[in-house]
Amino acid sequence: MVELNEVFETVNMVAQENLDVRTITMGISLLDCIDPNLDKLCNKIFDKITTSAKDLVKVGDDIGNEFGVPVINKRISVTPIAIVGGAACKKPKDFVRIAETLDSAAKEVGVNFIGGYSALVQKGMTAGDRLLIESIPEALAKTERVCSSISLGSTRTGINMDAVRLMGDIILQTATATKENDSLGCAKLVVFCNPPDDNPFMAGAFHGVTEADKVINVGVSGPGVVKYELSKVRGEDFEVLCETIKKTAFKVTRVGQLFAKEASKRLGVPFGIVDLSLAPTPAVGDSIADIIHEMGMEYAGAPGTTAALAILNDQVKKGGVMASSYVGGLSGAFIPVTEDQAMAEAAAVGALTLEKLEAMTCVCSVGLDMIAIPGDTPATTIAGIIADEMAIGMVNQKTTAVRLIPVIGKGVGEVAEFGGLLGEAKIMPVNKFGCADFVNRGGRIPAPIHSFKN
Amino acid sequence: MSKTIVTLVGKDKVGIIATVCNFFAENNINILDLKQTTAQGYINMMMIVDTDLYEGSTEDLNKGLEGIGVKVGCTIKAQHEEIFDMMHRI
Repeated sequence: MVELNEVFETVNMVAQENLDVRTITMGISLLDCIDPNLDKLCNKIFDKITTSAKDLVKVGDDIGNEFGVPVINKRISVTPIAIVGGAACKKPKDFVRIAETLDSAAKEVGVNFIGGYSALVQKGMTAGDRLLIESIPEALAKTERVCSSISLGSTRTGINMDAVRLMGDIILQTATATKENDSLGCAKLVVFCNPPDDNPFMAGAFHGVTEADKVINVGVSGPGVVKYELSKVRGEDFEVLCETIKKTAFKVTRVGQLFAKEASKRLGVPFGIVDLSLAPTPAVGDSIADIIHEMGMEYAGAPGTTAALAILNDQVKKGGVMASSYVGGLSGAFIPVTEDQAMAEAAAVGALTLEKLEAMTCVCSVGLDMIAIPGDTPATTIAGIIADEMAIGMVNQKTTAVRLIPVIGKGVGEVAEFGGLLGEAKIMPVNKFGCADFVNRGGRIPAPIHSFKN
Repeated sequence: MSKTIVTLVGKDKVGIIATVCNFFAENNINILDLKQTTAQGYINMMMIVDTDLYEGSTEDLNKGLEGIGVKVGCTIKAQHEEIFDMMHRI
């Protein structure tokens, strides 16, 4: 029988500490929709998504109501569209039509994002891959809910530098195509090294080709809860600090596990994984930077931040793994800047720089995320930043990502506003020294020595 | 049996538990267990109730309890028992 204090602990986590289930994401395979005729392909895609996910939003809301923990987002991920559209699409505009189809399907079923406008080009690009990449600026400008991700490298294959160079241009073009909204299009575009096939979080979610026809993946949240628990052990040693994070992560993940099983049962779709990530929101107190502050740093970004983040990431995994039968996705701590109010504040006072963020990505679960940079940053510099981040992922056998937003028409210190969960932040300075001769070499970086395990 | 846990927090006064219990009686909800503490004039209460004979949905129940909450000046919430078991028991 549960005790009074335990019941109120849970109730307070929701009421005061922003405990929620961040997302229930349904992965849907579109491989059986492939057709050389574009009209037929789009019809099949629309039908499959709207049939498979017709009850997703209602089920998510129902579960949230019954258990008293809100499910913030209901989302869909699909098979990378470069594979699905390869046979039908002869020009970038053809891919844009698929993006529009995905957007209308997402609106029809009521999900706020649909991920999988993706290409996996870590070793090389097919004609279809290239067309999809070239279509991204228009696709993201013309649609509202479609998210795009491109895999540019992996530990097994090395880094496709041709694609890295191309993405530098594409990110700038996407920024320009959506410049009226502070280049919002780039908030829906992420590039990866070692992307997981079962990530439920946007913008990087796609339904990998190794997955079943349909699957339910759940992303948990809870930075606010961890921060609150840590505030009770101020001044205690690292053992107490780590145990506190671990126990809290266990509880938070159990909620995710319960919701995932319940959603899977009610929708008749197999349960995939729970993603253990601590995902912040712009709500005050729901912040990774606040946790780092609580651990003892004046601001996130101060010396010690990387060690603190390493502890947090590791303890979240240790607590979470025990709480769920299947763990996957990105699993760790996210360090987006605009989406995390205290992170944005740390950047505004100059405690957090792009270089420090890069160091932090070595020990957390994702990468350079939601960082507003000046709109006049050269494409080659963006490609250089991507290459650095891909190298960290490749060598450390971990997922890394880059989601930069060059805000067209704005410079360092000005504020970029995206609204809602995407938040706002001051534009960060970027190293002014060039790297064009490096990124323009072309070709690919070979896989690192420790990838040869066979 | 589907067990629901009802929590109540607020400033203590005469008749809170009576009002809540009446609401349950009127709606065919059986109270299985009740625990409460009061400190510095505030009440924390937890009830475990059986909602098998209740005809509405969880949403209806929460709406009804919200109304009662306004009447007695407390926050009242109903949640399925499983969430507490999952979070606090291995």
